Amino acid sequence: MSVGDTLRAAIAAGQVGDRLWLYSNYHCNLRCVYCLTESAPGVARRLLAADEMVAAADEAVALGFRSLGVTGGEPFVVAEMPEVAAQLARRLPLIVLTNATLFTPRLLARLRPLADLPVTLQISLDSADPDVNDELRSPKNFAKVVDAIPRLVEMGIPVRVATTGDHNSAEEMERLCALHRRLGVPDEEHVVRPVVRRGRASENDMGVVAAAKDLHPELTLTADGAFWSPFAPTVRGGRLDLDLLVSRTRLPLERPTGALLRLSAANPEGTDTSLNIR
Amino acid sequence: MSRVELLEADQAPFGTRPFFPAEGAASPIVGALAQVPELLEVAMPFIAVVFGPSSVDLRTKEIVVLRVSAKLGCRYCVQSHTVAAWDAGLSVQETRGLCGEPLTMGEREDALVAWCDAFCAAPEPVPRALTARLREHLSEHELVELALLAGATAMLNRFCTSLELPTGASTLARLETEGVAA
Repeated sequence: MSVGDTLRAAIAAGQVGDRLWLYSNYHCNLRCVYCLTESAPGVARRLLAADEMVAAADEAVALGFRSLGVTGGEPFVVAEMPEVAAQLARRLPLIVLTNATLFTPRLLARLRPLADLPVTLQISLDSADPDVNDELRSPKNFAKVVDAIPRLVEMGIPVRVATTGDHNSAEEMERLCALHRRLGVPDEEHVVRPVVRRGRASENDMGVVAAAKDLHPELTLTADGAFWSPFAPTVRGGRLDLDLLVSRTRLPLERPTGALLRLSAANPEGTDTSLNIR
Repeated sequence: MSRVELLEADQAPFGTRPFFPAEGAASPIVGALAQVPELLEVAMPFIAVVFGPSSVDLRTKEIVVLRVSAKLGCRYCVQSHTVAAWDAGLSVQETRGLCGEPLTMGEREDALVAWCDAFCAAPEPVPRALTARLREHLSEHELVELALLAGATAMLNRFCTSLELPTGASTLARLETEGVAA
């Protein structure tokens, strides 16, 4: 059985995720308190080259992955990201995780082609209260996000809102949901996920401990190798965590895919991970 | 001492954990290779087969490993395999000899040491006469196995020396007990 056949069967059985994640970079214009990768301005960039991301997408199609994800760091600090995202989305449906704070009119104009492609931008928004949100994420983050989301929606680019953490009470969550609806994001495009106790979250004594069994296996390529999940290639104290490293080899994609499949083979068919962290 | 970080079990990629002992420190070779799990998972089974029990007796194999390591100047491998050689039945005097001027250990083992010296001496083939001398005591498949053992030893000699891997505490303690300079 080829790696591709095994992957397709594993995806169908729910043993592994159908998305290939690409860490475009590790640097960011923000410094969120729970950041898994200790991203901030000035950290090691750990860039994944644009041509390698596209090559990985080509191989992902051939192997049977069904979608792509780009995360970081902040992907849009990488100068060519709008065009790279378009190239990726011409191969498979794409989600890009972004803080949406860099969307100047000029950058928005470069994003316009994405409206005709299967692209979703996942934007973090942690509270309907600007002060609470900005304390977690960075000063002025709230204002930039609520400005950017309607512009993207108006351009025809689907937006998903991601809320990280369990700090919102029921009433606060309802206010947050009312806000994202007003911004043009429906309820089904709002995800709430726990803080994972890795990276800066661990330094700040936040979040839930997550081991391999708690994280759904989704192959994740970074400049440092291939990892078990997008929650895996974390940085703490400037040091990359290797506990969830699958292989240093990224391409050919068949190699890390095969390694992930071997490691995930112990997961019973159809079972999900205990924390359901996505 | 090491030129690279040697991962402990709790830092290492979870797929490499089976290569770490349940108790005590892992081999520094494991600790280093854990940084590249796809290499560890093929290298360690290979090393286990080539260096472990096989159709050639362990005493013969340890003579090859220790002599090659001594000729190629690998401190880590010499120290580790001096102890392994004792466990395989060699005496302290014999291991001392293999690290310097060999004792006479009988025609079979003397031929083996001469073959190891030729293996290490030059990139050319081992001279036919030395191979023929050894073949009087070993079958062809045993010669093949020992050639691979010598080659794998040379590879690990370079790996361990270049990274300056540290000798384990228990090995150093046994060397000291036997009065062998570490």
